[in-house]
Amino acid sequence: MTVQVLVKPNTYIDSVSLMSLSTKANQIEIVEQAIIAMGTEMNKEVIRNVGLMTPEVESAKTSDLVIIVKAASEELCEGAFESINELLTKKKDSSKGKSEVKYSTITSAVNGTPEANLAIIAVNGSYAPREARKALENNLHVMLFSDNVSIEDEIELKTLAQEKGLLMMGPDCGTAIIGNVALCFANAVRKGNIGIVGASGTGSQEVTVRIHEFGGGITQLIGTGGRDLSEEVGGIMMLAGIKALEEDDATKVIVLVSKPPAPSVEEKVLAQIKQCKKPVVVWFVGGNEEKVTQAGGHFAKMSKEAALKAVLLAGADESKLNKRTLNLPLIEEVRAKLKPQQKYIRGLFSGGTLCDEAMHIAMEKFDNVYSNIQREPEYRLKDVRVSQDHTFIDFGDDQFTQGKPHPMIDPSTRIERFIQEAKDPSVGVIVMDFVLGFGAHEDPVGAMLPAIIEAKQAAEDEGRHLEIIGYILGTELDSQNIEGQINKLLASGATHASSSQNAGLLAREFVVKGE
Amino acid sequence: MRFAKSGDGDFIQRIIHHKFHGFVHSTFNRTLNIQCLDSGDLYSIACKGIDNAPNTLIIDLEHFEEADIRVNDVVSSDHAILSISNKMFIPMDGIKKWNCELPKYPSEADVLIMNVSTMKQYIKLHGNSSRIERAFKGGNPFDDEMSRMLHERTQLLVLELQNKRMSTAIKHATSLIGLGPGLTPAGDDFLVGLFTVFNIENHRYFSHQSFCEEVVLHAKTLTNDISYMALAKAAVGQVRESISALMEALFRGSEEELLLALGRVLAIGSTSGTDIALGIVAGLEMNM
Repeated sequence: MTVQVLVKPNTYIDSVSLMSLSTKANQIEIVEQAIIAMGTEMNKEVIRNVGLMTPEVESAKTSDLVIIVKAASEELCEGAFESINELLTKKKDSSKGKSEVKYSTITSAVNGTPEANLAIIAVNGSYAPREARKALENNLHVMLFSDNVSIEDEIELKTLAQEKGLLMMGPDCGTAIIGNVALCFANAVRKGNIGIVGASGTGSQEVTVRIHEFGGGITQLIGTGGRDLSEEVGGIMMLAGIKALEEDDATKVIVLVSKPPAPSVEEKVLAQIKQCKKPVVVWFVGGNEEKVTQAGGHFAKMSKEAALKAVLLAGADESKLNKRTLNLPLIEEVRAKLKPQQKYIRGLFSGGTLCDEAMHIAMEKFDNVYSNIQREPEYRLKDVRVSQDHTFIDFGDDQFTQGKPHPMIDPSTRIERFIQEAKDPSVGVIVMDFVLGFGAHEDPVGAMLPAIIEAKQAAEDEGRHLEIIGYILGTELDSQNIEGQINKLLASGATHASSSQNAGLLAREFVVKGE
Repeated sequence: MRFAKSGDGDFIQRIIHHKFHGFVHSTFNRTLNIQCLDSGDLYSIACKGIDNAPNTLIIDLEHFEEADIRVNDVVSSDHAILSISNKMFIPMDGIKKWNCELPKYPSEADVLIMNVSTMKQYIKLHGNSSRIERAFKGGNPFDDEMSRMLHERTQLLVLELQNKRMSTAIKHATSLIGLGPGLTPAGDDFLVGLFTVFNIENHRYFSHQSFCEEVVLHAKTLTNDISYMALAKAAVGQVRESISALMEALFRGSEEELLLALGRVLAIGSTSGTDIALGIVAGLEMNM
């Protein structure tokens, strides 16, 4: 390892830029470690303690900016300095001429931007209802990202919104596309004639992305929050969303995305579908086909099927669509590589509904499917840290996100678990999702790549084949460059699934024995 | 010509009644620092939206990008106009004077106790992952070590202060100066918060202001000029308007007022606001 130092005399960079620069420098692929800090005596003590002290650092002054890079060779250190200098220059350019207005309260924001008609609220759950109420009282539609809001508050807010003819998306609503603007976690998709009401974030994202891939487009994606279809809330927002899309001239087809509603709510939703003048496609993960069909809806068992039905109802020519059927020879090939004891799937997901979909696909063939989001208590993992038979984990669930960012932003928890699962000789397949789009990690596949390569090599050294399936949820319009992400995944030796549905089906079929 | 909106009363007096000679010390997008040749002190010119602070003028400008002001540009004052190398002229006409006045410690502590508890909770949820609050394990050895040292040293400082062992407290406080990432190191920010509380009249440690002064004596060579100035001012009870407003809200404000004031402090810098707030909490808890 080589350590190189650059001391920039009398250089002052504001703290926000300095910390962001330091984080980015540590993310440069060739960098083992980067330190960017002021040359104070105490910071030098830290540098000494981690073994990176050099004479140049020793002589730096308190007003000097110290940049230290540790990399495999001198050449790589120089490359890293170049990249850091680029970051420094970019930082300067990006701050030029920009100014943004920050408001401390809803009232001042309303006064400052009277043309606004929607508020996104993402404060702590204890304060969120108060802010949402203020927004509704100021005639703003609300997207409430916050969770930990009481069900009583949710009902009160949704009732108020209903009385005022406003949308109350959430609490715990992370995905929406309103007027072609993606809000929070959503993908860049084409404008079109299909409207969606979704109680599930990544489920809705998946449907929008598949619709986009089939050549269709979206009018609105209205999020409801995960608890809307519970007995207590009664589907207030789902029903209001269907009504809004029915009244929207641009929307020709409506898609509903959710877990199965509570029985009384299901009745209300089905009654509304029956009355709706527009075709309604229903994807309730693990839901009942008969009831939907009787109500005149179009039932979809899986996400891709929902998107396909929607685009066909919206006028697409089926003969021109690439439905991306399963690669059957690949299934045979992988089955042959797996040893008899490699029986299990381990699904490690950042998206809850993607996890749910893959789990339901596995449940069609296997009884022993465990998860932290299983509805059957018998099959819920007793200890989320320990997998059992076929295990599907939603890393976005509360157990994993308390005090930590969502795995779509911070993949570290999933990487640790992946390494653990890869060592288990009973595992045949590990299936994972990589979510792109607004709000998501800049390079989710890149973050997992070293672990995948190492795990595959370790398995090979032990004489077993480890099959890894990656599904990348995104479009070519997303900023993360989906093609680059796919290429990285393939370069690691993993299999790329073309949809969430196909990822689940491939995982299941790879480990089926004796057929 | 740039209209000055408000500013530190003493700085304004100096511009109006004395000649100011100095040079531009450092420039940022929305703030620039000026070093006075006579006293060596730093003064700041900040854009609108930034709160009043000691030695600072707030002017009616969004940012300095197009002003082309550079480090070492000459700054001088004449006829109540501050000029920066003929690139910017700031007249003092109509400027609103501001002076930092910290509120007195309340006679009844009920509101304060409740507000400190709310503040701690809020910092946990909304603070910018301070390395002081908990030993941080981020995988980067430098960050981990920095975090360990900050956490350990602030704990030791608080313990010594609680036991009124002032000489060792000064030693631990000094060991925090210049420690931390960012322009104003986290250790300095924590001390700014702590000094603020020690300058509150009727606070148990009000009689120990010499502690602040002694620590600052060591600070000159241990941290950069910008952070030193903030420490030196805080040591004599001169802090940013948002910090004094937070003290007032802590002593007498409703929950809503407290959170509004706290939000403004937490928004300072990257983690500076959080570290200042943690220093305030530590100082106030010593009196409870």
